[in-house]
Amino acid sequence: MIAPANRLRSVGWLVLLGLCFAVVLVLAFRVNALRSQIHHAEARIVALKQEKLYLETEFETRSNQQQLKVWNDVEFGYAAPVAGQYLEGERQLAALSVPAMPDAPAPIRVASVDDSVIASAGFPAMVSPLSGKQLGDKPAVPAEAKVTKVDHDEAVETLNERLGKVVDSRPRKPVRKETASEKEEPNHPPAKKPAVAKPTTKKAEKGGKAVAVADKSKAKVAKPVTASRAIKGKEAKAAT
Amino acid sequence: MRVLLVASLFLLAGVAAFVRILQLGFFEDAPERRSLAEALLPPRGEITDRNGVPLARAFPAYALWYNPKAFGASGQPLVKSPEEVASALMQIFPDADYNDLLRRLKSDKPSYLIRRVMPEEANRIFALGEPALEFPRENQRYYPQGSLGAHVLGYVDGEGKGHVGMEQVLEKQLLDPAQRGQPVALSIDMRAQGALEDELGRGMLETEAKGAAGIVLDVDTGEIVALASLPSFNPNRSDMAYNDLVFNKVTNQVYELGSTFKPLSVAAAIDAGVITDLSVRYPANRPLEIGGFRIRDSHPFGASLNVPEALIHSSNIVTAQVADKLGGPGLKKTMAALGMNERPYIELPARGFPLWPRGHEKTGEWARITTMTVSYGHGIAVTPLHLAAAYAAMVNGGVWRPATLFKVDPAKAPEGRRVFKASTSARMRQLLRMIVVDGTGKTANAPGFRVGGKTGSAEKPGGKGGYNRTSLVATFAAAFPMDKPRYVVIAMLDEPKGTAATSYQRTAAWNAAPIVGRVVPRIGPFLGVVPDDTRDIDISDLSPLVGNGDGE
Repeated sequence: MIAPANRLRSVGWLVLLGLCFAVVLVLAFRVNALRSQIHHAEARIVALKQEKLYLETEFETRSNQQQLKVWNDVEFGYAAPVAGQYLEGERQLAALSVPAMPDAPAPIRVASVDDSVIASAGFPAMVSPLSGKQLGDKPAVPAEAKVTKVDHDEAVETLNERLGKVVDSRPRKPVRKETASEKEEPNHPPAKKPAVAKPTTKKAEKGGKAVAVADKSKAKVAKPVTASRAIKGKEAKAAT
Repeated sequence: MRVLLVASLFLLAGVAAFVRILQLGFFEDAPERRSLAEALLPPRGEITDRNGVPLARAFPAYALWYNPKAFGASGQPLVKSPEEVASALMQIFPDADYNDLLRRLKSDKPSYLIRRVMPEEANRIFALGEPALEFPRENQRYYPQGSLGAHVLGYVDGEGKGHVGMEQVLEKQLLDPAQRGQPVALSIDMRAQGALEDELGRGMLETEAKGAAGIVLDVDTGEIVALASLPSFNPNRSDMAYNDLVFNKVTNQVYELGSTFKPLSVAAAIDAGVITDLSVRYPANRPLEIGGFRIRDSHPFGASLNVPEALIHSSNIVTAQVADKLGGPGLKKTMAALGMNERPYIELPARGFPLWPRGHEKTGEWARITTMTVSYGHGIAVTPLHLAAAYAAMVNGGVWRPATLFKVDPAKAPEGRRVFKASTSARMRQLLRMIVVDGTGKTANAPGFRVGGKTGSAEKPGGKGGYNRTSLVATFAAAFPMDKPRYVVIAMLDEPKGTAATSYQRTAAWNAAPIVGRVVPRIGPFLGVVPDDTRDIDISDLSPLVGNGDGE
């Protein structure tokens, strides 16, 4: 009984040993496979970098100074900028204006706007770096982000008005949107329309040009303000 | 027993496999990785301009190699006839030599047909279906800008050795494995270099000059922004870099630069306190006779001139009198402080030694006549680079700095040595500006750039100890903007002729000064000098001293 038990045990050890070797072998193969993959990747990186260098050099060669000069002489005719094309600052810009005379063009008027609107809006409150919550007495509201965004648009709007001319040269709606929607309308069923219109309105928002065409939820907040301002603008126009 | 044997066999196999894996893992990896790192390391370091634009790079280019043994030792090497192949190659490379190609294709020796082939050209050649045309990829030195800045860069010969320019100077650094991975930035601005070479080339063609040289130097740091010597060579074709083309006229050739020295002499006199009143008038109506030598002007300017007028009309007689008042030692000291008695300071290997006038045998002092001729740029011959460095010192507040071709951090500019007082420098800026506004340099007056400078048209020495009246060296040395000088620009033409383009005049006012007038607007904006009509240096205290009139 002792001998078979002994034998059994040694066979067991051997099997274990074999298993271990098998595992090590598999592992080693995988490691080597990965290594060769890395090697291939690196070789490819080198090849690509050299290709890039090659193309870059070709580009540099084709666009070298002498070649550019020849093209400029024959085709483009660019000349070095002269003094009149530079403005050093606002002072020099102002020096270009014409003094008020009977025939002088209408001066650029700056509308006076209540600065408190901009001061109060558009800038997110300070946030605690630890908790991530807002500091101060106002509690953080989930709708906060939306409100700030509208306010930001409004701030941009006021800024536009402050900087812009009194005569409203902006199109009522973004030109892109009109043309896009008109083109799409006859061909597509009405169900598709919002999907077409949406990206354009988003673009318009980004440009900070038209609050009037913003989403309806936002328009609720924005409309009264813009309307009142439009009236203000008209008043200003009437005053001139 | 058998079990033990089997087990030991297993063990042996396992150990062998393991050892092999270990060997693969630990020993074979290292050389592999090193070769990868090396693959990205250029065989020769890159040279860039101050903005990082590559000027010279090692570049694995295709070459076109003809191998007649492609089909084995016997049999026809080409599928088509050599004539057909040659004419097909001529379609791809229109500027190749047909007869030369044919001769090579017919011979049974392998040879290069074309040294450098672009990838798409290689594709077109491949489409010809000739196995005998091979494209070995070779590491070559390549200059994407062609002949631009050739004298600054130099070239690399077939054995990989740098010659002439920075390729020779930086040889060690460019080949050092530890350093060559990092590109070397020069002080050259490739755009300024292009503009300077272009305008010099145009001036050279217009005047049928033998050669031209030009330099743009930063007055505060001594960096050379552009350096051109024409005729030039293409460093990509090192086999065609002949001696007379490789010769650098800016740093190696010495010239008597003539009247461009007058402002330096006047500055020395003002600095020494010899000229305290610029309204003092000097007789100018008859040639000055010193020891049998007559100093005369190109044409009479009237009975007397003051110093601003003398500079504006470029009067030798008055400048000589001013120098005489200053004395030989004073002028010699200033000229030596400006580095006129040693080779120019620059990294390039080719630097010419000035012809410095010999003094008295015992005291070493200049004779009276020597002092006078040196004051208007004769009897002393220096390189255009000497002149540029001296002008930089004259306008930058009076500090001379060595010129360099390496990019310099403005905060770490070399300290230099003071040659002129700051007040002298301010006065000279006014005078130089007046020369361009009212005097001989009018054609260099680029609008808005407040250029100031001085013309110089020196006769070349020739014959037996005399001067050749018909061959001139026309120079214009300028700085801009004069209210706060940033750059010195020098343009020089070697033996210009009077042509229709220059109204049949050979003097600098008609050929070298217009070059500066065209270069400055082209390089100013991107070098940080904005044209401005509302600014200028105040010359109102000097302008009443000058009557109106023209002269050279």
